[in-house]
Amino acid sequence: MLISYLPILILLLVVMGFAISNIIISALIGRHKPTAEKLSPYECGVEPIGSARERFSVKFYIIAMMFVIFDIEVVFLYPWAVAYKSLALFGLIEMAIFIIILLVGYVYIWKRGGFEWE
Amino acid sequence: MIPLTWYLILSGILFSIGAVGVLIRRNAIVIFMCIELMLNAVNLAFITFSRQLNSMDGQIFVFFIMTVAAAEAAVGLAIIIAIYRNKATVNVDDINLMKW
Amino acid sequence: MLESLLFLIMGSITIACALCVVFQKNPIYSAIFLIQTMVSLAVLYVLLHAQFIAAIQVMIYAGAIMVLFIFVIMLLNLSKADEEGERDNLFFQKPSAIILGFILVVMIGTVTLKTVFQGVKGEYTPETISQIGNTQLVGKMLFTKYVFPFEIASILLFAAIIGAIILAKKRIIED
Repeated sequence: MLISYLPILILLLVVMGFAISNIIISALIGRHKPTAEKLSPYECGVEPIGSARERFSVKFYIIAMMFVIFDIEVVFLYPWAVAYKSLALFGLIEMAIFIIILLVGYVYIWKRGGFEWE
Repeated sequence: MIPLTWYLILSGILFSIGAVGVLIRRNAIVIFMCIELMLNAVNLAFITFSRQLNSMDGQIFVFFIMTVAAAEAAVGLAIIIAIYRNKATVNVDDINLMKW
Repeated sequence: MLESLLFLIMGSITIACALCVVFQKNPIYSAIFLIQTMVSLAVLYVLLHAQFIAAIQVMIYAGAIMVLFIFVIMLLNLSKADEEGERDNLFFQKPSAIILGFILVVMIGTVTLKTVFQGVKGEYTPETISQIGNTQLVGKMLFTKYVFPFEIASILLFAAIIGAIILAKKRIIED
Protein backbone atom coordinates (compact mmCIF):
# COMPACT_ATOMS: atom_id res chain seq x y z
CA MET A 1 0.00 0.00 0.00
CA LEU A 2 2.80 2.37 0.89
CA ILE A 3 4.56 1.59 -2.38
CA SER A 4 2.04 3.81 -4.19
CA TYR A 5 3.55 6.80 -2.37
CA LEU A 6 6.98 6.16 -3.88
CA PRO A 7 6.66 9.06 -6.39
CA ILE A 8 6.10 11.49 -3.52
CA LEU A 9 9.23 10.22 -1.78
CA ILE A 10 11.24 10.57 -4.99
CA LEU A 11 9.92 14.11 -5.51
CA LEU A 12 10.79 14.97 -1.91
CA LEU A 13 14.34 13.66 -2.29
CA VAL A 14 14.84 15.43 -5.62
CA VAL A 15 13.57 18.75 -4.26
CA MET A 16 15.63 18.53 -1.09
CA GLY A 17 18.72 17.43 -3.01
CA PHE A 18 18.29 20.28 -5.50
CA ALA A 19 17.92 22.92 -2.81
CA ILE A 20 20.79 21.65 -0.64
CA SER A 21 23.16 21.08 -3.57
CA ASN A 22 22.44 24.58 -4.91
CA ILE A 23 23.31 26.16 -1.58
CA ILE A 24 26.48 24.08 -1.23
CA ILE A 25 27.64 24.61 -4.81
CA SER A 26 27.09 28.37 -4.74
CA ALA A 27 28.93 28.57 -1.42
CA LEU A 28 31.84 26.56 -2.81
CA ILE A 29 32.41 28.04 -6.27
CA GLY A 30 30.79 31.49 -5.95
CA ARG A 31 32.90 34.62 -5.40
CA HIS A 32 32.28 36.53 -2.20
CA LYS A 33 33.00 40.25 -2.36
CA PRO A 34 30.22 41.89 -0.32
CA THR A 35 29.76 45.65 -0.58
CA ALA A 36 27.18 47.87 1.06
CA GLU A 37 25.32 48.25 -2.23
CA LYS A 38 25.17 44.50 -2.80
CA LEU A 39 23.93 43.73 0.69
CA SER A 40 21.07 46.24 0.62
CA PRO A 41 17.69 44.61 -0.05
CA TYR A 42 16.64 44.56 -3.68
CA GLU A 43 13.46 46.55 -4.28
CA CYS A 44 13.03 46.46 -8.03
CA GLY A 45 15.79 49.03 -8.50
CA VAL A 46 14.22 51.67 -6.25
CA GLU A 47 16.17 52.96 -3.26
CA PRO A 48 14.92 51.13 -0.15
CA ILE A 49 12.91 53.36 2.19
CA GLY A 50 13.24 52.26 5.79
CA SER A 51 13.09 48.75 7.16
CA ALA A 52 10.95 45.98 5.68
CA ARG A 53 10.03 44.85 9.20
CA GLU A 54 7.11 47.18 9.53
CA ARG A 55 3.64 46.40 10.64
CA PHE A 56 1.24 45.51 7.87
CA SER A 57 -2.27 46.82 7.61
CA VAL A 58 -5.13 44.92 9.22
CA LYS A 59 -6.83 44.83 5.81
CA PHE A 60 -4.61 41.88 4.94
CA TYR A 61 -6.02 39.96 7.89
CA ILE A 62 -9.57 40.21 6.57
CA ILE A 63 -8.47 38.77 3.23
CA ALA A 64 -6.66 35.88 4.95
CA MET A 65 -9.63 35.23 7.21
CA MET A 66 -12.02 35.04 4.26
CA PHE A 67 -9.60 32.70 2.52
CA VAL A 68 -9.62 30.31 5.50
CA ILE A 69 -13.40 30.28 5.86
CA PHE A 70 -14.12 29.70 2.18
CA ASP A 71 -11.30 27.17 1.98
CA ILE A 72 -13.20 25.11 4.54
CA GLU A 73 -16.33 25.46 2.44
CA VAL A 74 -14.50 24.10 -0.61
CA VAL A 75 -13.06 21.22 1.43
CA PHE A 76 -16.61 20.23 2.35
CA LEU A 77 -17.43 20.15 -1.35
CA TYR A 78 -14.83 17.45 -2.12
CA PRO A 79 -16.44 14.46 -0.33
CA TRP A 80 -19.83 15.60 -1.59
CA ALA A 81 -18.61 15.69 -5.19
CA VAL A 82 -17.04 12.24 -4.86
CA ALA A 83 -20.10 10.62 -3.25
CA TYR A 84 -22.60 12.62 -5.32
CA LYS A 85 -24.03 9.67 -7.28
CA SER A 86 -25.09 7.70 -4.23
CA LEU A 87 -26.51 10.75 -2.47
CA ALA A 88 -28.58 12.04 -5.38
CA LEU A 89 -31.11 14.82 -4.72
CA PHE A 90 -30.84 14.62 -0.92
CA GLY A 91 -27.15 15.51 -1.03
CA LEU A 92 -27.83 18.34 -3.47
CA ILE A 93 -30.38 19.92 -1.14
CA GLU A 94 -28.08 19.57 1.87
CA MET A 95 -25.25 21.18 0.01
CA ALA A 96 -27.56 23.95 -1.22
CA ILE A 97 -28.53 24.80 2.37
CA PHE A 98 -24.87 24.76 3.40
CA ILE A 99 -23.83 27.06 0.59
CA ILE A 100 -26.77 29.44 1.04
CA ILE A 101 -25.91 29.92 4.73
CA LEU A 102 -22.33 30.74 3.80
CA LEU A 103 -23.55 32.96 0.98
CA VAL A 104 -25.37 35.04 3.58
CA GLY A 105 -22.03 35.45 5.31
CA TYR A 106 -20.46 36.43 2.01
CA VAL A 107 -23.12 39.08 1.41
CA TYR A 108 -22.55 40.31 4.96
CA ILE A 109 -18.83 40.79 4.30
CA TRP A 110 -19.67 42.55 1.06
CA LYS A 111 -22.19 44.94 2.67
CA ARG A 112 -19.83 45.60 5.53
CA GLY A 113 -17.15 46.70 3.09
CA GLY A 114 -14.83 43.76 3.64
CA PHE A 115 -13.84 43.72 -0.01
CA GLU A 116 -13.09 47.41 -0.24
CA TRP A 117 -9.48 48.33 0.28
CA GLU A 118 -9.90 51.87 1.57
CA MET B 1 2.32 -3.57 11.60
CA ILE B 2 2.95 -1.09 14.43
CA PRO B 3 0.79 -1.53 17.53
CA LEU B 4 -1.77 1.23 17.68
CA THR B 5 -0.80 1.94 21.29
CA TRP B 6 2.30 3.69 19.94
CA TYR B 7 0.14 6.16 18.10
CA LEU B 8 -1.83 6.81 21.26
CA ILE B 9 1.35 7.39 23.24
CA LEU B 10 2.62 9.76 20.52
CA SER B 11 -0.68 11.58 20.75
CA GLY B 12 -0.32 11.79 24.54
CA ILE B 13 3.20 13.20 24.23
CA LEU B 14 2.05 15.82 21.71
CA PHE B 15 -0.84 16.80 23.96
CA SER B 16 1.47 17.19 26.94
CA ILE B 17 3.91 19.32 24.93
CA GLY B 18 1.02 21.56 23.92
CA ALA B 19 -0.19 21.81 27.51
CA VAL B 20 3.30 22.70 28.76
CA GLY B 21 3.51 25.33 26.01
CA VAL B 22 0.26 26.92 27.14
CA LEU B 23 1.62 27.05 30.69
CA ILE B 24 5.09 28.46 30.04
CA ARG B 25 4.74 30.82 27.08
CA ARG B 26 3.60 34.39 27.58
CA ASN B 27 2.94 35.37 23.97
CA ALA B 28 -0.77 35.04 23.20
CA ILE B 29 -0.18 33.89 19.62
CA VAL B 30 2.24 31.14 20.69
CA ILE B 31 -0.24 30.03 23.35
CA PHE B 32 -2.83 29.83 20.58
CA MET B 33 -0.45 27.73 18.46
CA CYS B 34 0.06 25.37 21.40
CA ILE B 35 -3.72 24.95 21.59
CA GLU B 36 -3.68 23.98 17.92
CA LEU B 37 -0.99 21.44 18.79
CA MET B 38 -3.25 19.93 21.44
CA LEU B 39 -6.14 19.78 18.96
CA ASN B 40 -3.85 17.94 16.54
CA ALA B 41 -2.90 15.43 19.24
CA VAL B 42 -6.57 14.72 19.85
CA ASN B 43 -7.10 14.32 16.09
CA LEU B 44 -4.35 11.69 16.02
CA ALA B 45 -6.05 9.77 18.83
CA PHE B 46 -9.38 9.95 16.96
CA ILE B 47 -7.86 8.59 13.76
CA THR B 48 -6.08 5.83 15.70
CA PHE B 49 -9.29 4.67 17.32
CA SER B 50 -11.10 4.90 13.99
CA ARG B 51 -8.48 2.52 12.56
CA GLN B 52 -8.59 0.28 15.62
CA LEU B 53 -12.36 -0.12 15.57
CA ASN B 54 -12.66 -0.26 11.76
CA SER B 55 -15.09 2.62 11.77
CA MET B 56 -15.27 5.87 9.83
CA ASP B 57 -16.82 7.96 12.61
CA GLY B 58 -13.46 9.04 14.01
CA GLN B 59 -12.43 10.49 10.68
CA ILE B 60 -15.66 12.50 10.39
CA PHE B 61 -15.06 13.81 13.90
CA VAL B 62 -11.59 14.95 12.88
CA PHE B 63 -13.11 16.72 9.90
CA PHE B 64 -15.43 18.66 12.18
CA ILE B 65 -12.63 19.40 14.64
CA MET B 66 -10.68 20.95 11.77
CA THR B 67 -13.69 23.10 10.85
CA VAL B 68 -14.02 24.26 14.44
CA ALA B 69 -10.28 24.93 14.59
CA ALA B 70 -10.47 27.13 11.49
CA ALA B 71 -13.42 29.12 12.86
CA GLU B 72 -11.64 29.40 16.20
CA ALA B 73 -8.44 30.62 14.54
CA ALA B 74 -10.32 33.28 12.56
CA VAL B 75 -12.11 34.69 15.60
CA GLY B 76 -9.31 34.13 18.11
CA LEU B 77 -6.71 35.89 16.00
CA ALA B 78 -9.16 38.75 15.42
CA ILE B 79 -9.48 39.04 19.20
CA ILE B 80 -5.69 39.10 19.53
CA ILE B 81 -5.52 41.88 16.91
CA ALA B 82 -8.20 43.84 18.77
CA ILE B 83 -6.28 43.44 22.04
CA TYR B 84 -3.09 44.57 20.36
CA ARG B 85 -4.86 47.67 19.07
CA ASN B 86 -6.00 48.63 22.53
CA LYS B 87 -3.00 47.67 24.65
CA ALA B 88 -0.13 47.43 22.11
CA THR B 89 0.96 44.10 23.54
CA VAL B 90 0.10 40.43 23.26
CA ASN B 91 1.92 39.41 26.42
CA VAL B 92 -0.67 37.65 28.55
CA ASP B 93 0.87 39.02 31.76
CA ASP B 94 -0.21 42.50 30.68
CA ILE B 95 -3.70 41.41 29.68
CA ASN B 96 -4.98 40.43 33.09
CA LEU B 97 -7.94 42.75 33.44
CA MET B 98 -11.32 42.21 31.88
CA LYS B 99 -11.89 45.93 31.34
CA TRP B 100 -9.76 48.97 32.08
CA MET C 1 8.77 -3.12 8.49
CA LEU C 2 8.65 -0.10 6.18
CA GLU C 3 5.65 1.19 8.10
CA SER C 4 7.40 0.90 11.47
CA LEU C 5 10.42 2.73 10.11
CA LEU C 6 8.23 5.51 8.68
CA PHE C 7 6.33 5.74 11.96
CA LEU C 8 9.52 6.06 13.97
CA ILE C 9 10.97 8.74 11.66
CA MET C 10 7.76 10.75 11.43
CA GLY C 11 6.94 10.35 15.12
CA SER C 12 10.34 11.67 16.16
CA ILE C 13 10.10 14.56 13.67
CA THR C 14 6.67 15.41 15.06
CA ILE C 15 7.86 15.41 18.67
CA ALA C 16 11.04 17.36 17.86
CA CYS C 17 9.09 20.02 15.95
CA ALA C 18 6.45 20.22 18.68
CA LEU C 19 9.18 20.85 21.24
CA CYS C 20 10.62 23.55 18.97
CA VAL C 21 7.18 25.21 18.76
CA VAL C 22 7.16 25.56 22.53
CA PHE C 23 10.79 26.51 23.11
CA GLN C 24 11.54 28.85 20.19
CA LYS C 25 11.81 32.49 21.21
CA ASN C 26 10.68 33.94 17.87
CA PRO C 27 6.98 33.30 17.12
CA ILE C 28 7.65 33.04 13.38
CA TYR C 29 9.95 30.04 13.98
CA SER C 30 7.29 28.51 16.22
CA ALA C 31 4.77 28.85 13.39
CA ILE C 32 7.11 27.25 10.83
CA PHE C 33 7.81 24.32 13.17
CA LEU C 34 4.08 23.93 13.78
CA ILE C 35 3.57 23.60 10.02
CA GLN C 36 6.18 20.82 9.92
CA THR C 37 4.44 19.12 12.87
CA MET C 38 1.17 19.14 10.96
CA VAL C 39 2.69 17.82 7.75
CA SER C 40 4.36 14.92 9.55
CA LEU C 41 1.07 14.18 11.31
CA ALA C 42 -0.50 13.98 7.85
CA VAL C 43 2.00 11.22 6.99
CA LEU C 44 0.93 9.36 10.13
CA TYR C 45 -2.70 9.68 9.02
CA VAL C 46 -1.77 8.06 5.72
CA LEU C 47 -0.19 5.19 7.70
CA LEU C 48 -3.51 4.82 9.53
CA HIS C 49 -5.44 4.55 6.22
CA ALA C 50 -7.07 7.96 6.50
CA GLN C 51 -5.93 9.44 3.20
CA PHE C 52 -8.66 12.06 2.92
CA ILE C 53 -7.99 13.38 6.39
CA ALA C 54 -4.28 13.49 5.58
CA ALA C 55 -5.00 15.59 2.49
CA ILE C 56 -7.24 18.06 4.31
CA GLN C 57 -4.77 18.20 7.19
CA VAL C 58 -2.23 19.60 4.75
CA MET C 59 -4.82 21.82 3.06
CA ILE C 60 -6.63 23.27 6.07
CA TYR C 61 -4.09 23.18 8.86
CA ALA C 62 -0.77 23.60 7.11
CA GLY C 63 -2.20 25.58 4.20
CA ALA C 64 -4.87 27.85 5.61
CA ILE C 65 -4.83 28.13 9.39
CA MET C 66 -1.07 28.53 9.62
CA VAL C 67 -1.15 31.17 6.87
CA LEU C 68 -3.53 33.10 9.10
CA PHE C 69 -1.18 32.71 12.07
CA ILE C 70 1.85 33.90 10.10
CA PHE C 71 -0.20 36.81 8.75
CA VAL C 72 -1.05 37.92 12.25
CA ILE C 73 2.54 37.56 13.47
CA MET C 74 3.67 39.68 10.51
CA LEU C 75 0.78 42.09 11.08
CA LEU C 76 1.73 42.74 14.69
CA ASN C 77 5.49 42.50 14.01
CA LEU C 78 6.11 40.64 17.22
CA SER C 79 9.57 39.22 16.70
CA LYS C 80 11.29 42.07 18.53
CA ALA C 81 8.62 42.81 21.11
CA ASP C 82 8.47 39.20 22.19
CA GLU C 83 12.08 38.94 23.36
CA GLU C 84 11.80 41.69 25.90
CA GLY C 85 8.26 40.68 26.79
CA GLU C 86 9.34 37.16 27.73
CA ARG C 87 10.05 37.98 31.33
CA ASP C 88 9.32 35.68 34.23
CA ASN C 89 6.83 37.05 36.67
CA LEU C 90 6.57 33.69 38.37
CA PHE C 91 10.06 32.21 38.61
CA PHE C 92 8.85 28.71 39.52
CA GLN C 93 6.37 28.61 36.63
CA LYS C 94 8.60 27.07 33.95
CA PRO C 95 10.12 24.20 35.97
CA SER C 96 6.85 23.25 37.59
CA ALA C 97 5.06 23.32 34.22
CA ILE C 98 7.69 21.03 32.71
CA ILE C 99 7.50 18.62 35.67
CA LEU C 100 3.70 18.55 35.41
CA GLY C 101 4.04 17.90 31.67
CA PHE C 102 6.27 14.90 32.38
CA ILE C 103 3.77 13.61 34.90
CA LEU C 104 1.02 13.99 32.28
CA VAL C 105 3.05 12.00 29.73
CA VAL C 106 3.70 9.22 32.24
CA MET C 107 0.05 9.11 33.24
CA ILE C 108 -1.23 8.95 29.67
CA GLY C 109 1.43 6.36 28.84
CA THR C 110 0.56 4.04 31.71
CA VAL C 111 -3.15 4.36 31.07
CA THR C 112 -2.78 3.53 27.37
CA LEU C 113 -0.37 0.66 28.04
CA LYS C 114 -2.52 -0.88 30.77
CA THR C 115 -5.84 -0.58 28.96
CA VAL C 116 -7.00 -3.24 26.58
CA PHE C 117 -9.02 -1.32 24.01
CA GLN C 118 -12.13 -3.28 23.26
CA GLY C 119 -15.07 -2.07 21.33
CA VAL C 120 -17.60 -3.09 18.77
CA LYS C 121 -15.65 -3.42 15.56
CA GLY C 122 -17.18 -1.56 12.66
CA GLU C 123 -17.54 -2.77 9.11
CA TYR C 124 -14.89 -0.58 7.51
CA THR C 125 -11.70 -2.61 7.52
CA PRO C 126 -8.77 -1.18 5.53
CA GLU C 127 -9.61 -3.59 2.72
CA THR C 128 -13.18 -2.35 2.33
CA ILE C 129 -12.01 1.23 2.63
CA SER C 130 -9.50 0.79 -0.17
CA GLN C 131 -12.18 -0.95 -2.23
CA ILE C 132 -14.81 1.79 -1.94
CA GLY C 133 -12.40 4.66 -1.45
CA ASN C 134 -11.71 6.70 1.64
CA THR C 135 -13.15 9.96 0.31
CA GLN C 136 -16.33 8.25 -0.91
CA LEU C 137 -16.89 6.77 2.54
CA VAL C 138 -16.29 10.10 4.25
CA GLY C 139 -18.78 11.70 1.86
CA LYS C 140 -21.37 9.02 2.44
CA MET C 141 -21.08 9.22 6.22
CA LEU C 142 -20.98 13.00 6.23
CA PHE C 143 -24.15 13.40 4.19
CA THR C 144 -26.21 10.63 5.76
CA LYS C 145 -25.34 9.93 9.38
CA TYR C 146 -23.80 13.32 10.14
CA VAL C 147 -26.15 15.62 8.19
CA PHE C 148 -27.07 17.71 11.17
CA PRO C 149 -23.50 18.44 12.36
CA PHE C 150 -22.67 19.28 8.76
CA GLU C 151 -25.36 21.95 8.57
CA ILE C 152 -24.38 23.23 12.01
CA ALA C 153 -20.83 23.57 10.70
CA SER C 154 -22.05 26.08 8.13
CA ILE C 155 -23.69 28.15 10.87
CA LEU C 156 -20.46 27.96 12.86
CA LEU C 157 -18.49 29.26 9.88
CA PHE C 158 -21.08 32.00 9.40
CA ALA C 159 -20.67 33.04 13.03
CA ALA C 160 -16.91 33.02 12.57
CA ILE C 161 -17.22 35.36 9.57
CA ILE C 162 -19.38 37.83 11.48
CA GLY C 163 -17.21 37.70 14.60
CA ALA C 164 -13.95 38.17 12.77
CA ILE C 165 -15.30 41.02 10.62
CA ILE C 166 -16.72 42.86 13.61
CA LEU C 167 -13.52 42.49 15.60
CA ALA C 168 -11.11 43.31 12.79
CA LYS C 169 -13.02 46.11 11.06
CA LYS C 170 -13.75 48.15 14.12
CA ARG C 171 -13.04 51.45 12.44
CA ILE C 172 -15.90 51.04 9.99
CA ILE C 173 -18.39 50.73 12.82
CA GLU C 174 -17.18 53.95 14.38
CA ASP C 175 -17.41 55.90 11.12
